[in-house]
Amino acid sequence: MSQLSELRITSKEGNGKSSATGQNGSRFDKTGVAEAPRYSCSMGGAYMCTLATFGAVPIIHSGPGCVLAQNFGQNFAAGLNGAGPNGNTSTPCSCLVDEHAVFGGEAKLRGLIQSTQELVKGSLFVVISGCVPALIGDDVAGVVRDFQSGDRPIIIVNTAGFKGNSYHGYQTFFDSIIEQLLTEQPKQKGLVNLLGIVPYQHIFWKGDLQVIKNLLESIGLQVNMIFTENDGLAAWQRVPAAELNLVFSPWCGTDAAAKLEQKFGTPKLEFPSVPIGPKDTSSFLRAVAQQLGIPNDQVESVIAAQEFRTYRFTEYVADMVMIALPHAFAAVVADTSTAIGLTRYISNELGWLPEVVVVTDDPPSAARERIIQYLRDGLESAVKPEVIFEVDSHKIRLLLRQHTAQIILASSLEKYIAGDELNAMQVSVAFPVYDRLIVDRTYAGYRGGIALVEDVAAKYGGPL
Amino acid sequence: MIDLKAKTCPNREQRAGAITAYYGKASELVRDVRCGAVKQRERDFQQATGCVLNFYLTTRVATIRDAVMIVHAPVGCSSTALLYREVYRRIPPSEGRPADFDLHWLTTGLNENDVVYGATEKLRYAILEAERRYKPKAIFIMASCTSGIIGEDIEGLIEELREDVSPALIPIHCEGTRSRVIQTAYDAFWHGVLKYLVKKPRQKQKDLVNIASMLSYTWQDRLEITRLLTRLGLRPNFIPEFATVDQFEILSEAAVTAPICPTYTDYLSRGLEQEYGVPYFMYPSPVGIDHTDAWLREIARHTGKEKEAEQLISEERAQWVPVMQRIQEEFTKVLPNGKQVDILGSLGQGRLVTQVPYFEELGVKTPATICQDFDNLLLDQIDGIIKQSGDFDVLVNTFQAAELAHLTRKYDPKLALTCPFQGAAYKREKGSTRIHALRGDSRQWSRQAGYRGAIAYGNFLLQATKNQAFQKTMLAKTEDPYHDWWYAQPNPLHYLRKESVNEPAV
Repeated sequence: MSQLSELRITSKEGNGKSSATGQNGSRFDKTGVAEAPRYSCSMGGAYMCTLATFGAVPIIHSGPGCVLAQNFGQNFAAGLNGAGPNGNTSTPCSCLVDEHAVFGGEAKLRGLIQSTQELVKGSLFVVISGCVPALIGDDVAGVVRDFQSGDRPIIIVNTAGFKGNSYHGYQTFFDSIIEQLLTEQPKQKGLVNLLGIVPYQHIFWKGDLQVIKNLLESIGLQVNMIFTENDGLAAWQRVPAAELNLVFSPWCGTDAAAKLEQKFGTPKLEFPSVPIGPKDTSSFLRAVAQQLGIPNDQVESVIAAQEFRTYRFTEYVADMVMIALPHAFAAVVADTSTAIGLTRYISNELGWLPEVVVVTDDPPSAARERIIQYLRDGLESAVKPEVIFEVDSHKIRLLLRQHTAQIILASSLEKYIAGDELNAMQVSVAFPVYDRLIVDRTYAGYRGGIALVEDVAAKYGGPL
Repeated sequence: MIDLKAKTCPNREQRAGAITAYYGKASELVRDVRCGAVKQRERDFQQATGCVLNFYLTTRVATIRDAVMIVHAPVGCSSTALLYREVYRRIPPSEGRPADFDLHWLTTGLNENDVVYGATEKLRYAILEAERRYKPKAIFIMASCTSGIIGEDIEGLIEELREDVSPALIPIHCEGTRSRVIQTAYDAFWHGVLKYLVKKPRQKQKDLVNIASMLSYTWQDRLEITRLLTRLGLRPNFIPEFATVDQFEILSEAAVTAPICPTYTDYLSRGLEQEYGVPYFMYPSPVGIDHTDAWLREIARHTGKEKEAEQLISEERAQWVPVMQRIQEEFTKVLPNGKQVDILGSLGQGRLVTQVPYFEELGVKTPATICQDFDNLLLDQIDGIIKQSGDFDVLVNTFQAAELAHLTRKYDPKLALTCPFQGAAYKREKGSTRIHALRGDSRQWSRQAGYRGAIAYGNFLLQATKNQAFQKTMLAKTEDPYHDWWYAQPNPLHYLRKESVNEPAV
């Protein structure tokens, strides 16, 4: 196949202008047909949330291959991460086959829950059901209910792969926890929860959470990251005690925050992304401080010290920025919040020119106008990005060919395309990422922007 | 007898009596399988095994260079294939990787609407779109649990479309729920290939050798096999990974089908012989010096290259046997008083039958073997190995991490071979290293096949005996996932049910 010439001819198909309708919802029979969309299924999202809760043991009620698919299609695809002590083939799974489809899988699940609680250490057991039980009509909730009267916390997350993507799974997971696990707690002054950072879909999730936590602690707050807190069950149980919920996405996690507000009276404060670099980080701290009535001078002294240090350190990257990477036309291909955070940083601090932003996580249409505003308003760059909502990796490739970006911040799917077809530098910053190991790397916070410059400059390498 | 009129192959359970749970002596297992006394049994505690679609078909079929894979499933079933644009790219073109290739796959992204109203129209759209976009020579349509349960008529649609689209359309019945034995995936894939893709031979190619290459054999292994066959004036036809559609079409023209992993190649080999008279052999594989000799002789016998093979073998042995002797000496220095090193390894049946003799060649011993499934396809070969190396224990399990951790503690070998599917089993006081690398790894130290592989793998295992810091530290500093009673009781198959499973008639 000599695709190059053929694809250039057909490249108009991906010519979406900044519009809130995007590719989805046009004709129902096509919805979902795509090359390599950048997420897994609802079950996968809920499973990743469980693995991100330390001490939680997932019990997957599904066909035999769902777990392996998530291991390679979620955690490994998000910066080459191993799945941890209860993930991958360490995950208890009912491995349903045809005879269960005929006779039902409930008995199998019952035995699996029993044996898992006997054998596997854990403080919270999370039963996640996939497509097969949903299609054959297993009463999964009924089976789990029998165990909920016991003294070992166990919940059911009723997903099915066909119900939605990983982000849908994240939201379903929160819904299940809120409904089945959380109870009213006395409010704890200065405690905040962090929502909207989706494990693995946001490839820097671990580092993002930790940096936000450290930042807020520096202005005197206590922070519940929930995911990766040492005691995951305790972290979840503490959620209703928070004074404020922070959501770092214009659309993912907002429903959960609304439910928490309704059920426990916790107000929420929404940010479109985690803050990247000093400007947005300082604004973020001021906004949270204002909401919680933290004295101005306390916050401003932290900000002054952090900004001094960060910009003093920025001196060290200035030669590379000015000589190797100046005023680059940039393309960003990422999920909503990663795209917003990076676009603002490269435009407002690095002096780059964000030419096009492709949003890859299929946000609901109601959120799209707002996302476009976040991506185009408040940018110092005279170049405002064209914003396109696209999940099809083939169409994204064609779209990028219509631009002349010099630096592409994207997934590793764009790695070779950037070099071979677009003559652009590329750094993998969004799901999926197979070309770098990401543990707690992050671009969030004061130092985050410098970390980004380090990663971009590593691709330039060599003496000036 | 392979029935290519059927939509798909029988499951491994039916075709070869495959089981996924057993613990005992190899000799007893072989005897009991022969007399039909071994039945498939379920576990009360089970960990994820992989399925017919997602053991690795999604990642394998997506690498066929001028084909497109369509996964007719919810979006999660194909997420493993997200690696498709990068998987072979790290191999430098200077190592023989074609510089210009482009891989594509589509999901139909089945949603709630589709499971209620059916999704055949969506699949039709996906097939037409795949042809329009990519102009492929073949389109592989992968079934899933969901497409199977909602009763999608993939064959019916393909019959309708066959006249209108030019690429070959190949349905693969890899519904995840169809079989407990993930090796059924091999047969299901080969069935589609044999039925829809292999063409009648235009002319026999006397120098062409079919080699079905697993993802667990690396690029360097291909290079070594190519080097050896080239010396005999032969050409390898490596399928399916990273092949072109043309390479499948000409499978019928080859002089012989040779194994790297017999359990993997079996259905294809039989099919090619039955339909087109292409001879095949199942054993041995080119792992270890002796077995590489034998493998080359077997190929030579079918290609009339006996003389050249003997010449090649004697030259290679002269070069590599002295190196192997040095490795053997090094192994005798690992333990005090020259005590023999024991290595716990294996993965599938294919590695069971290659590792035991290879470890013998290295001068180390195998206290037990582990394989994902066990069927009646290699009984004679295993008999032969028992005769040569003595009896050994076998644990049959498909990636049951708790059982593997148990077994590793129980035998406590000097060196345990592991993979990401074995969970915490690598955390131990003694040696741990990987069983194998993967296809995209083009480094020379990842070789395992042929003469160079025998040496590289021996050195690789020696390296692993020299430092235990990582696994020891992880053992000390992280919590084991299982309660202590698990290791205190003797049986890795503690949770195996007594009764055999009741499989619905197929």
